[in-house]
Amino acid sequence: MFQYSMMQPVIWMLTGLLTAIFFLGMRYWFQDLKIKMHWWKWLLIVVWITMLALTLGVTFTLIGENESKAGIRFVLFFGLIILLTGGGLWKIIAKK
Amino acid sequence: MDRRKFIKYAGLASGSLALAGVSAGSFMAGRSKDSYTGWGRTPYGKDQFFNRVPFLVEKPTYQVAGKPERITYIENIFRRNAELYRLLINRHPEGLKWDKSQGIEGLPEPLKTYYTNHPSAFKEFFRAREKSKKQRANWEKYKDKYHLAEAWSRAHSSFLRGPAPFPVEPTGPPEEADYKGVNPNPLPLKSSEHGSKLIKKIAHSFGATLTGIAKIKKEWVYQGTLRGVGQVDFEVPKHWKYAVMIAIPHEWESFYTNPVYGTSYDAYSLLRFISGKLEVFIKEIGYSARSHVPPGQYDLVMPPLGIDAGLGELGRNGILITPELGGNTRLAAVSTDMPLLEDKPIDAGINKFCKKCKICADECPSGSISFDDAPKHVIRGFKRWEIDQDKCYTVWNSVATSHAKGCRICLAVCPYSRKNNWIHTFAREADSRDPTGLTSKAMLEMQKNLFDYPGANEYLPPPDGNNKTFGKPPDWLLTEEWFDI
Ligand code: SF4
Ligand code: SF4
Repeated sequence: MFQYSMMQPVIWMLTGLLTAIFFLGMRYWFQDLKIKMHWWKWLLIVVWITMLALTLGVTFTLIGENESKAGIRFVLFFGLIILLTGGGLWKIIAKK
Repeated sequence: MDRRKFIKYAGLASGSLALAGVSAGSFMAGRSKDSYTGWGRTPYGKDQFFNRVPFLVEKPTYQVAGKPERITYIENIFRRNAELYRLLINRHPEGLKWDKSQGIEGLPEPLKTYYTNHPSAFKEFFRAREKSKKQRANWEKYKDKYHLAEAWSRAHSSFLRGPAPFPVEPTGPPEEADYKGVNPNPLPLKSSEHGSKLIKKIAHSFGATLTGIAKIKKEWVYQGTLRGVGQVDFEVPKHWKYAVMIAIPHEWESFYTNPVYGTSYDAYSLLRFISGKLEVFIKEIGYSARSHVPPGQYDLVMPPLGIDAGLGELGRNGILITPELGGNTRLAAVSTDMPLLEDKPIDAGINKFCKKCKICADECPSGSISFDDAPKHVIRGFKRWEIDQDKCYTVWNSVATSHAKGCRICLAVCPYSRKNNWIHTFAREADSRDPTGLTSKAMLEMQKNLFDYPGANEYLPPPDGNNKTFGKPPDWLLTEEWFDI
């Protein structure tokens, strides 16, 4: 995603660190909300977050390359899918 | 705040930050000039190359459908038009005379036979002349707006003017011309494999983005005219064994703003320097060499040799499409008898993609590109999509910027020409590996539904269109950014 530069490994490490903190935080959220988590629930969350990240990634790459309209069309279409699947996912996960 | 609460909120903040990072990084990847295809940080830069190994095939993807024939020079629009033009202005080198009132019947051979078989091409020649007159008249109106584009194109084409263009045109028969300056005491080359590797490295060091080696087949050699000799029918010289193919892209930003801001000469001038230097280098190490360079100094036909050399595949628009550069691939070659190893052709699914795509045909302002699903016409022994060169040339003479002579919309709109950033690279890589064709279907739907295409006529000047460009012009080509106009 980034062209090779000194910043490249640093940025990826930072993203990894933030992701780890995010999942740690999530664990506590679910515990406090008394939601029982299984491995497959975590897997669904990972898949959904990857989809969200990819949608944002594609959208902003397109905006970056002067194709703002394409980016907006993309996010309108896939963003809606992300929202709908996100709602569905929450229902599945929230089942205690 | 207790530790647990802190981690909960830090988690939310981190997640948002990571997503923001992905978005910002993606924006940078989209914007980055390092992702202009073929303009990676170095000519050796790994990031810009497509791994061809999984796609190597024994037979090239063009379809042989009969006995391959050599192309006569008169089938090349520039040579044909030049010949007719010289007659028209009474400057034929052999003193032949003709005027328009004599029609096709009165033309000397081989023009007479050609135009008898292609009467529409004859009409189109005069239509192009009319358009060219209009183009010149319009220039007064456009010259300020396109001042920088014109200056930029002229700077690139300056090598064509003046007394000594480089590389020097051959004079005399190839058996003499191609050996002029060859080192008489060459060192023994270790093997043809060494030869190939060395010549490719040298070509890259001279600035070639892609290089490949093809055996010169008879059918890839023009017939009827030979540089350095003149108009003759000739056998392919024995020492024309291999073509070292060189491909480079146009400067990316101007290329994307074709037709009015782009030019062909930026790539042409670079190709001439690279090939010319390679010719000298090959002669210095003891082998014959001849450059085949744009705009018209060719004895060899470039796209099929590019296909044989494994650089890419033939597109619907009649040009070589490479996985790295897409339609933004301009070619030159050096023919030589140096011992080399030929490369294998590739099948990266480009030809198959073209069957479905048709974006170039939709956007072509002259309607020159075929809409047939699969190639139907057998041209000189090969099944191909037909291109109406004459109509295409009329558009060259119609677009607002007169000097750069060209249109290049079919190169710019090709989905394979998009940037070398992660989304387009992923699309190229995934499509090539998907035998089901589902990826290409999905990619094509996205190409057509997400991106805006101005529409074929819009690229033309008023009243037919609105001088639209495919992409957004960079500030350095916008006169109004730098000058009061
Ligand atoms: S250069 Fe322009 S007119 Fe010619 S085939 Fe391509 S798109 Fe059509
Ligand atoms: S625009 Fe589409 S049909 Fe035309 S050459 Fe490119 S891939 Fe092929």
